[in-house]
Amino acid sequence: MEALHALIEGFAVALTWTNLMWGFVGVTLGTAVGVLPGVGPALAIALLLPATSKIDPTGALIMFAGIYYGAMFGGSTTSILLNTPGESATIVTAMEGNLMAKAGRAGPALATSAIGSFVAGTLATIALTLLSPLVVDVALRFGPAEYFAVMVLAFTTVSAVLGASPLRGIAALFFGLFLGLMGIDTQTGQARFTLGIPELLDGIDVVVVAVGLFAVGETLYVATYLNRTMDKLEKFGGSVMMSAQDWARSWKPWLRGTLLGFPFGTLPAGGAEIPTFLSYAIERKLTKHPEEFGKGAIEGVAGPEAANNASATGTLVPLLTLGLPTTATAAIILAAFQQYGLQPGPLLFETQPTLVWALIASMYIGNVILLILNLPLVGLWVKLLAIPRPLLYAGILIFATLGAYGLRNSWFDLLLLYVIGLVGFLMRRYDIPVAPVIVGMILGPLAESQFRRALAISQGDLSVFVTQPIAAGVLLLAALTVIVPPLWRRVAARRAARAA
Amino acid sequence: MNVRGHVGELACSLGLLLIGAFVLLDAGNIPQSQSFSGVGPRFFPYLVGTGLAVCGALLAWRALAGGWRAMPDDDGVHARADWRAFALISAGIVLQMVLIGWAGFILASVVLFVLVARGFGSVRLVRDAVVAVVLVTAAYLVFTRLLSLSLPAGWLPFL
Repeated sequence: MEALHALIEGFAVALTWTNLMWGFVGVTLGTAVGVLPGVGPALAIALLLPATSKIDPTGALIMFAGIYYGAMFGGSTTSILLNTPGESATIVTAMEGNLMAKAGRAGPALATSAIGSFVAGTLATIALTLLSPLVVDVALRFGPAEYFAVMVLAFTTVSAVLGASPLRGIAALFFGLFLGLMGIDTQTGQARFTLGIPELLDGIDVVVVAVGLFAVGETLYVATYLNRTMDKLEKFGGSVMMSAQDWARSWKPWLRGTLLGFPFGTLPAGGAEIPTFLSYAIERKLTKHPEEFGKGAIEGVAGPEAANNASATGTLVPLLTLGLPTTATAAIILAAFQQYGLQPGPLLFETQPTLVWALIASMYIGNVILLILNLPLVGLWVKLLAIPRPLLYAGILIFATLGAYGLRNSWFDLLLLYVIGLVGFLMRRYDIPVAPVIVGMILGPLAESQFRRALAISQGDLSVFVTQPIAAGVLLLAALTVIVPPLWRRVAARRAARAA
Repeated sequence: MNVRGHVGELACSLGLLLIGAFVLLDAGNIPQSQSFSGVGPRFFPYLVGTGLAVCGALLAWRALAGGWRAMPDDDGVHARADWRAFALISAGIVLQMVLIGWAGFILASVVLFVLVARGFGSVRLVRDAVVAVVLVTAAYLVFTRLLSLSLPAGWLPFL
């Protein structure tokens, strides 16, 4: 039980006052950004990156992880009471949860999602603890060719599997790869795509891109297109008690949601949308109260909420063990590691075991704090939803410009922020996914250096990616994720046409 | 079908195609320091440029052939765009960019805050300004005093 021993040492570090404080700040901020519409965990972490560059990496990473899974807790509050999902992963919760709130059952809906999130988060953290050392053992045998292959698989699943259109996803991915190319090539020192502008020699900072897309682009879109509709905040009496029947109907969906969410998180097919939708569909089939679905069934809240929390924790498995981000937020956390000169991956478990295991231990603690924050104190968070929209978005832009300008006190970064904000506005308008841009931008330079290292070892022989079984298999899988779904859709459409 | 929507889709596709063309052309200007593997700093740019150009071309073709696939059905939302809001918020960010080094972070940010709030339809100018001054001053003090980030004081050097 080497992992158990390491975990206990991790707890020793995570339970120091400073790290407990960072964890508490992280989950509190996470709940807040989850509750507030228009702010997500990726944006919050990106804004904090420049401000935290000088603090201890363990504390900062504990805080960032707390923001990530804390946002999953907070997001459900907004979906249930406001019917505007704060996060894409809580779209399903918004369906049944908001109906429950309309029927005067906001309390049990909030309770089943908070307790379900806690159960799923804790079980997923246990799974992470057990699974990570196994993945590390496999990953230690990886060479550059295998890493490159796994990164390509992450690219294709993030851009082609998720979202409505594989083509638009891949276009977004290439745009992100292009942004990642800008600046000085780390291997030869040559400047690339800097247009002769000295500010671009260091490349475009990921903070500017993330904040531009998530804050400026989103604000412009909401103001231009969505500001005419008013949100209706459902009343919530303040009691979050669940009856015995609510418990009986919730516990199985929690467990099934966890079982669905965690594997989807760990696969490079990150993102919590698919498992939440699957969980909703399964609960709808298995329920003894089918008549309540569509009117506010508690199973339809309990299952998907557990699934999205388990999958958020699951995405930390590839991030920590392989250095592979599969969501936009995970990509920003990877950038946070890089800010401290750390590269997540199997070697991190050997060189920085206390950091890694303190981070994992902090997640057990964070889930307990989140349960307290989100059950007895849920009334406080609901008050955040009363902030008038003009003040909320004005505040978001103040912090967005502060974050971009604070990088190096240059007006050029504000110009860049606005230009990327315009790109984000267009992407939102024409339904082009944003996550592939962030993942491509951060993972692209790593993929390029693994690719070049693989070819340096093989002395320029490209066949190295085909002759090594693991690399070849993973690349084949990546190709299939791009080719099969459109083919499948075409076959299904043809069958439907024949049947009609 | 909404023809104007397809014009926008076509413009986006062509924009992508243009970026791809730029990447392909400019990659030729990267000095080629031949490493022994034969893969220098130009290879990935050529790959990315090709990818951008191909995606742009395919999207443009789809935009011409009846619009992009699987678009969400929110023409109603997009038909009623509030370009005044767009302009106000844009003006706020551009003014912030111009003013921040000169008038200082606090004054520039108060202007940005009030303009964004106005863009979102707020007519309570005094309330917005008061909230802006309190929030921005607090942020300034936290970042400069507690996190020791440097932000321009501008016309308010006494803070």
